[in-house]
Amino acid sequence: MLFYSFFKTQVGQQVTVELKNDLAIQGVLESVDQFLNIKLRDIHVVDPERYPHMLSIKNCFIRGSVVRYVQLSPSTVDTALLQDAARREAQSTQQMNQAKPNVAQA
Amino acid sequence: MSFAPQFFTTAESLVDSLDKKILVLLRDGRKILGVLRSYDQFANLVLQDSLERIYVRDAYGDIERGVFIIRGENVVLLGEIDCDVEDALPLRQLPIQDILEMQREEAEEKARKDKLRFQLLHKQGFSVDFADSDLY
Amino acid sequence: MADTAAALTVEEPLDLVRLSLDERIYVKLRGDRELRGRLHAYDQHLNMVLGEVEETITMVDVNDEVQTQSLRSVNRTVPMLFVRGDGVILVSPPSRAA
Repeated sequence: MLFYSFFKTQVGQQVTVELKNDLAIQGVLESVDQFLNIKLRDIHVVDPERYPHMLSIKNCFIRGSVVRYVQLSPSTVDTALLQDAARREAQSTQQMNQAKPNVAQA
Repeated sequence: MSFAPQFFTTAESLVDSLDKKILVLLRDGRKILGVLRSYDQFANLVLQDSLERIYVRDAYGDIERGVFIIRGENVVLLGEIDCDVEDALPLRQLPIQDILEMQREEAEEKARKDKLRFQLLHKQGFSVDFADSDLY
Repeated sequence: MADTAAALTVEEPLDLVRLSLDERIYVKLRGDRELRGRLHAYDQHLNMVLGEVEETITMVDVNDEVQTQSLRSVNRTVPMLFVRGDGVILVSPPSRAA
Protein backbone atom coordinates (compact mmCIF):
# COMPACT_ATOMS: atom_id res chain seq x y z
CA MET A 1 0.00 0.00 0.00
CA LEU A 2 3.09 2.25 -0.19
CA PHE A 3 2.08 4.09 -3.34
CA TYR A 4 -1.57 4.34 -2.32
CA SER A 5 -0.40 6.14 0.84
CA PHE A 6 2.07 8.18 -1.19
CA PHE A 7 -0.57 9.39 -3.65
CA LYS A 8 -2.88 10.30 -0.77
CA THR A 9 -0.19 12.79 0.34
CA GLN A 10 -0.32 14.26 -3.21
CA VAL A 11 -4.06 15.03 -3.15
CA GLY A 12 -4.61 18.70 -4.03
CA GLN A 13 -1.33 18.94 -5.95
CA GLN A 14 -0.94 19.67 -9.66
CA VAL A 15 0.18 16.48 -11.47
CA THR A 16 0.54 15.27 -15.06
CA VAL A 17 -0.71 11.74 -15.73
CA GLU A 18 0.71 10.12 -18.85
CA LEU A 19 -1.24 7.13 -20.16
CA LYS A 20 0.05 4.13 -22.09
CA ASN A 21 -1.65 5.50 -25.21
CA ASP A 22 0.58 8.63 -24.90
CA LEU A 23 -2.33 10.86 -23.82
CA ALA A 24 -0.97 13.22 -21.14
CA ILE A 25 -3.41 15.00 -18.83
CA GLN A 26 -2.52 17.74 -16.39
CA GLY A 27 -4.82 18.48 -13.48
CA VAL A 28 -5.29 18.66 -9.74
CA LEU A 29 -5.22 15.25 -8.03
CA GLU A 30 -8.62 14.89 -6.42
CA SER A 31 -8.52 11.30 -5.18
CA VAL A 32 -6.80 7.94 -5.49
CA ASP A 33 -7.85 4.41 -4.48
CA GLN A 34 -6.08 1.13 -3.74
CA PHE A 35 -5.87 0.21 -7.45
CA LEU A 36 -4.18 3.59 -8.02
CA ASN A 37 -7.20 4.73 -10.04
CA ILE A 38 -6.87 8.50 -10.19
CA LYS A 39 -9.39 11.31 -10.25
CA LEU A 40 -8.29 14.67 -11.66
CA ARG A 41 -10.13 18.00 -11.74
CA ASP A 42 -9.69 21.13 -13.89
CA ILE A 43 -7.80 19.11 -16.46
CA HIS A 44 -6.14 20.09 -19.67
CA VAL A 45 -4.65 17.74 -22.23
CA VAL A 46 -1.01 18.36 -23.18
CA ASP A 47 -1.58 17.91 -26.95
CA PRO A 48 -5.28 18.89 -27.44
CA GLU A 49 -5.27 18.84 -31.27
CA ARG A 50 -4.61 15.10 -31.25
CA TYR A 51 -7.42 14.40 -28.78
CA PRO A 52 -10.53 16.39 -29.83
CA HIS A 53 -12.78 14.16 -27.69
CA MET A 54 -11.07 15.47 -24.53
CA LEU A 55 -11.86 19.15 -25.17
CA SER A 56 -15.20 19.14 -23.33
CA ILE A 57 -13.94 17.21 -20.28
CA LYS A 58 -13.33 19.14 -17.05
CA ASN A 59 -12.96 16.35 -14.49
CA CYS A 60 -12.00 12.74 -15.13
CA PHE A 61 -11.46 9.31 -13.60
CA ILE A 62 -8.44 7.41 -14.94
CA ARG A 63 -8.19 3.66 -14.46
CA GLY A 64 -4.91 2.85 -12.68
CA SER A 65 -3.99 0.05 -15.08
CA VAL A 66 -3.67 2.41 -18.08
CA VAL A 67 -1.23 4.81 -16.39
CA ARG A 68 2.38 4.87 -17.57
CA TYR A 69 3.75 7.79 -15.53
CA VAL A 70 2.63 10.43 -13.08
CA GLN A 71 4.81 13.55 -13.12
CA LEU A 72 4.98 15.19 -9.72
CA SER A 73 6.26 18.43 -8.30
CA PRO A 74 9.55 17.59 -6.51
CA SER A 75 8.98 20.19 -3.80
CA THR A 76 5.95 18.16 -2.60
CA VAL A 77 7.92 14.91 -2.19
CA ASP A 78 9.96 14.14 0.95
CA THR A 79 12.46 11.74 -0.63
CA ALA A 80 14.11 10.66 2.63
CA LEU A 81 10.74 9.75 4.12
CA LEU A 82 9.81 7.92 0.92
CA GLN A 83 13.01 5.84 0.94
CA ASP A 84 12.44 4.85 4.58
CA ALA A 85 8.87 3.89 3.76
CA ALA A 86 10.11 1.78 0.82
CA ARG A 87 12.56 -0.09 3.08
CA ARG A 88 9.84 -0.74 5.64
CA GLU A 89 7.44 -1.92 2.92
CA ALA A 90 10.13 -4.30 1.55
CA GLN A 91 10.65 -5.77 5.02
CA SER A 92 6.96 -6.26 5.74
CA THR A 93 6.32 -7.78 2.29
CA GLN A 94 9.16 -10.25 2.84
CA GLN A 95 7.84 -11.23 6.28
CA MET A 96 4.37 -11.74 4.84
CA ASN A 97 5.78 -14.02 2.14
CA GLN A 98 7.82 -16.03 4.65
CA ALA A 99 4.76 -16.53 6.85
CA LYS A 100 2.87 -18.10 3.93
CA PRO A 101 3.59 -21.69 2.85
CA ASN A 102 5.67 -21.59 -0.33
CA VAL A 103 3.53 -23.18 -3.02
CA ALA A 104 6.34 -23.33 -5.58
CA GLN A 105 8.50 -25.52 -3.34
CA ALA A 106 5.70 -27.76 -2.06
CA MET B 1 -8.22 -12.24 2.25
CA SER B 2 -10.35 -9.34 3.36
CA PHE B 3 -9.92 -5.66 2.69
CA ALA B 4 -10.94 -2.94 5.05
CA PRO B 5 -13.94 -1.19 3.49
CA GLN B 6 -12.18 2.19 3.40
CA PHE B 7 -9.85 0.90 0.64
CA PHE B 8 -12.72 0.54 -1.83
CA THR B 9 -12.88 4.16 -2.78
CA THR B 10 -13.58 3.61 -6.51
CA ALA B 11 -17.21 3.74 -5.42
CA GLU B 12 -16.68 7.03 -3.67
CA SER B 13 -14.88 8.58 -6.63
CA LEU B 14 -17.51 7.68 -9.27
CA VAL B 15 -20.60 8.50 -7.24
CA ASP B 16 -20.45 12.17 -8.34
CA SER B 17 -20.78 11.10 -11.99
CA LEU B 18 -23.95 9.02 -11.50
CA ASP B 19 -26.87 10.08 -13.73
CA LYS B 20 -24.64 12.54 -15.56
CA LYS B 21 -23.56 12.59 -19.19
CA ILE B 22 -20.07 11.12 -19.41
CA LEU B 23 -17.49 10.10 -21.98
CA VAL B 24 -15.80 6.71 -21.63
CA LEU B 25 -12.57 6.09 -23.48
CA LEU B 26 -12.03 2.37 -24.12
CA ARG B 27 -8.77 0.47 -24.54
CA ASP B 28 -9.47 -0.25 -28.22
CA GLY B 29 -9.73 3.51 -28.83
CA ARG B 30 -13.52 3.76 -28.97
CA LYS B 31 -15.31 6.68 -27.34
CA ILE B 32 -18.72 6.06 -25.79
CA LEU B 33 -20.97 8.88 -24.59
CA GLY B 34 -23.93 8.19 -22.33
CA VAL B 35 -25.57 8.62 -18.95
CA LEU B 36 -23.81 6.71 -16.16
CA ARG B 37 -26.41 4.60 -14.36
CA SER B 38 -24.31 2.06 -12.40
CA TYR B 39 -20.75 0.93 -11.66
CA ASP B 40 -18.74 -1.17 -9.19
CA GLN B 41 -15.24 -1.32 -7.67
CA PHE B 42 -13.71 -2.75 -10.89
CA ALA B 43 -15.05 0.24 -12.84
CA ASN B 44 -17.53 -2.03 -14.65
CA LEU B 45 -20.01 0.52 -16.00
CA VAL B 46 -23.62 0.69 -17.20
CA LEU B 47 -24.46 3.55 -19.59
CA GLN B 48 -27.91 4.49 -20.85
CA ASP B 49 -28.81 6.30 -24.10
CA SER B 50 -25.26 5.74 -25.28
CA LEU B 51 -23.61 6.80 -28.52
CA GLU B 52 -20.36 5.64 -30.02
CA ARG B 53 -18.63 8.73 -31.39
CA ILE B 54 -15.97 8.30 -34.06
CA TYR B 55 -13.51 11.15 -34.51
CA VAL B 56 -11.40 11.67 -37.60
CA ARG B 57 -9.35 14.89 -37.39
CA ASP B 58 -11.89 17.77 -36.87
CA ALA B 59 -14.96 15.71 -37.84
CA TYR B 60 -17.05 13.13 -36.01
CA GLY B 61 -19.97 10.78 -36.53
CA ASP B 62 -22.30 9.00 -34.10
CA ILE B 63 -23.70 5.47 -33.86
CA GLU B 64 -26.55 4.84 -31.39
CA ARG B 65 -25.68 2.06 -28.94
CA GLY B 66 -28.58 2.14 -26.42
CA VAL B 67 -27.76 0.54 -23.06
CA PHE B 68 -24.05 -0.26 -22.89
CA ILE B 69 -22.37 -2.44 -20.24
CA ILE B 70 -18.59 -2.05 -20.13
CA ARG B 71 -16.23 -4.47 -18.43
CA GLY B 72 -13.91 -2.43 -16.19
CA GLU B 73 -10.60 -3.70 -17.58
CA ASN B 74 -11.44 -2.07 -20.92
CA VAL B 75 -11.92 1.39 -19.43
CA VAL B 76 -9.11 3.89 -19.96
CA LEU B 77 -10.80 7.01 -18.72
CA LEU B 78 -14.17 8.33 -17.71
CA GLY B 79 -14.79 12.06 -18.12
CA GLU B 80 -17.60 14.36 -17.08
CA ILE B 81 -18.81 16.32 -20.11
CA ASP B 82 -19.23 20.07 -19.79
CA CYS B 83 -22.25 20.54 -22.09
CA ASP B 84 -21.63 24.28 -22.62
CA VAL B 85 -18.09 23.66 -23.85
CA GLU B 86 -19.23 20.70 -25.94
CA ASP B 87 -21.76 22.79 -27.90
CA ALA B 88 -19.12 25.41 -28.78
CA LEU B 89 -16.44 23.02 -30.07
CA PRO B 90 -15.01 23.66 -33.56
CA LEU B 91 -15.90 20.14 -34.74
CA ARG B 92 -18.25 19.24 -37.57
CA GLN B 93 -20.66 16.32 -37.58
CA LEU B 94 -20.71 14.19 -40.73
CA PRO B 95 -22.99 11.31 -41.81
CA ILE B 96 -21.77 8.08 -40.24
CA GLN B 97 -21.03 6.44 -43.62
CA ASP B 98 -18.59 9.25 -44.48
CA ILE B 99 -16.88 9.04 -41.10
CA LEU B 100 -16.53 5.25 -41.29
CA GLU B 101 -14.89 5.58 -44.70
CA MET B 102 -12.47 8.24 -43.39
CA GLN B 103 -11.73 6.10 -40.35
CA ARG B 104 -10.95 3.08 -42.53
CA GLU B 105 -8.50 5.09 -44.66
CA GLU B 106 -6.79 6.47 -41.56
CA ALA B 107 -6.49 3.00 -40.01
CA GLU B 108 -4.98 1.48 -43.16
CA GLU B 109 -2.38 4.23 -43.36
CA LYS B 110 -1.50 3.77 -39.69
CA ALA B 111 -1.23 -0.01 -40.02
CA ARG B 112 1.13 0.33 -42.98
CA LYS B 113 3.43 2.76 -41.14
CA ASP B 114 3.31 0.78 -37.88
CA LYS B 115 4.46 -2.34 -39.69
CA LEU B 116 7.57 -0.56 -40.94
CA ARG B 117 8.20 1.00 -37.51
CA PHE B 118 7.90 -2.25 -35.59
CA GLN B 119 10.25 -4.09 -37.94
CA LEU B 120 12.97 -1.54 -37.28
CA LEU B 121 12.34 -1.31 -33.51
CA HIS B 122 12.37 -5.08 -33.17
CA LYS B 123 15.86 -5.18 -34.70
CA GLN B 124 16.96 -2.73 -31.98
CA GLY B 125 15.77 -5.09 -29.25
CA PHE B 126 12.62 -3.24 -28.27
CA SER B 127 9.44 -4.98 -27.28
CA VAL B 128 6.61 -4.32 -29.71
CA ASP B 129 3.93 -6.46 -28.08
CA PHE B 130 1.91 -3.43 -26.95
CA ALA B 131 1.11 -2.81 -30.58
CA ASP B 132 -1.38 -5.63 -31.00
CA SER B 133 -3.20 -5.49 -27.70
CA ASP B 134 -3.26 -1.80 -26.85
CA LEU B 135 -4.21 0.23 -29.87
CA TYR B 136 -6.19 2.80 -27.90
CA MET C 1 19.70 -13.01 11.70
CA ALA C 2 20.28 -9.45 12.83
CA ASP C 3 18.25 -6.78 11.09
CA THR C 4 21.35 -4.97 9.83
CA ALA C 5 22.76 -8.13 8.24
CA ALA C 6 19.39 -8.93 6.64
CA ALA C 7 19.31 -5.43 5.18
CA LEU C 8 22.58 -6.04 3.31
CA THR C 9 22.05 -9.54 1.92
CA VAL C 10 20.50 -10.41 -1.42
CA GLU C 11 18.16 -13.40 -1.15
CA GLU C 12 15.54 -12.52 -3.71
CA PRO C 13 15.54 -10.35 -6.85
CA LEU C 14 13.86 -7.36 -5.25
CA ASP C 15 16.60 -7.16 -2.59
CA LEU C 16 18.84 -5.87 -5.36
CA VAL C 17 16.33 -3.11 -6.03
CA ARG C 18 16.16 -2.29 -2.32
CA LEU C 19 19.95 -1.87 -2.23
CA SER C 20 19.61 0.62 -5.11
CA LEU C 21 17.47 3.04 -3.08
CA ASP C 22 18.90 6.57 -3.30
CA GLU C 23 21.14 5.46 -6.21
CA ARG C 24 20.81 6.27 -9.89
CA ILE C 25 19.36 3.28 -11.72
CA TYR C 26 18.54 2.34 -15.31
CA VAL C 27 15.01 1.17 -16.15
CA LYS C 28 13.92 -0.30 -19.48
CA LEU C 29 10.22 0.02 -20.22
CA ARG C 30 7.70 -1.20 -22.76
CA GLY C 31 6.95 1.27 -25.54
CA ASP C 32 10.62 1.79 -26.55
CA ARG C 33 11.44 3.85 -23.47
CA GLU C 34 14.40 3.95 -21.13
CA LEU C 35 14.83 5.87 -17.88
CA ARG C 36 17.81 6.89 -15.78
CA GLY C 37 17.03 8.36 -12.38
CA ARG C 38 17.46 8.27 -8.61
CA LEU C 39 15.33 5.58 -6.96
CA HIS C 40 13.27 6.97 -4.10
CA ALA C 41 10.64 4.23 -3.70
CA TYR C 42 9.46 0.91 -5.16
CA ASP C 43 7.06 -1.89 -4.30
CA GLN C 44 6.61 -5.57 -5.22
CA HIS C 45 4.97 -4.64 -8.57
CA LEU C 46 8.03 -2.52 -9.44
CA ASN C 47 5.98 0.64 -9.23
CA MET C 48 8.64 3.28 -8.59
CA VAL C 49 9.24 6.91 -7.81
CA LEU C 50 12.37 8.26 -9.50
CA GLY C 51 13.98 11.67 -9.15
CA GLU C 52 16.00 13.71 -11.69
CA VAL C 53 14.86 11.41 -14.47
CA GLU C 54 16.26 11.34 -17.99
CA GLU C 55 13.89 9.58 -20.36
CA THR C 56 14.97 8.32 -23.78
CA ILE C 57 12.26 7.39 -26.28
CA THR C 58 13.30 5.63 -29.48
CA MET C 59 11.16 6.67 -32.42
CA VAL C 60 11.04 5.67 -36.06
CA ASP C 61 10.56 8.25 -38.78
CA VAL C 62 8.82 6.78 -41.81
CA ASN C 63 9.53 8.78 -44.93
CA ASP C 64 7.23 7.83 -47.78
CA GLU C 65 8.90 9.88 -50.49
CA VAL C 66 12.31 8.23 -50.28
CA GLN C 67 10.97 4.92 -48.88
CA THR C 68 13.24 4.98 -45.83
CA GLN C 69 12.88 4.64 -42.10
CA SER C 70 15.31 6.06 -39.60
CA LEU C 71 15.68 5.73 -35.84
CA ARG C 72 15.65 8.80 -33.68
CA SER C 73 16.13 9.20 -29.93
CA VAL C 74 14.11 11.80 -28.08
CA ASN C 75 15.34 12.83 -24.63
CA ARG C 76 13.52 14.69 -21.91
CA THR C 77 14.02 15.28 -18.22
CA VAL C 78 11.43 15.02 -15.46
CA PRO C 79 12.27 16.17 -11.92
CA MET C 80 10.02 13.68 -10.10
CA LEU C 81 8.25 10.73 -11.71
CA PHE C 82 6.01 7.88 -10.59
CA VAL C 83 6.42 4.87 -12.93
CA ARG C 84 3.77 2.14 -13.02
CA GLY C 85 5.36 -1.29 -12.58
CA ASP C 86 3.46 -3.13 -15.32
CA GLY C 87 5.49 -1.31 -17.98
CA VAL C 88 8.86 -2.26 -16.51
CA ILE C 89 11.01 -4.74 -18.46
CA LEU C 90 14.21 -4.54 -16.43
CA VAL C 91 15.85 -2.57 -13.63
CA SER C 92 19.61 -2.26 -13.51
CA PRO C 93 21.41 -1.10 -10.37
CA PRO C 94 24.27 1.41 -10.60
CA SER C 95 27.59 0.07 -11.83
CA ARG C 96 29.74 -1.19 -8.94
CA ALA C 97 32.94 -0.90 -10.98
CA ALA C 98 35.74 0.75 -9.04
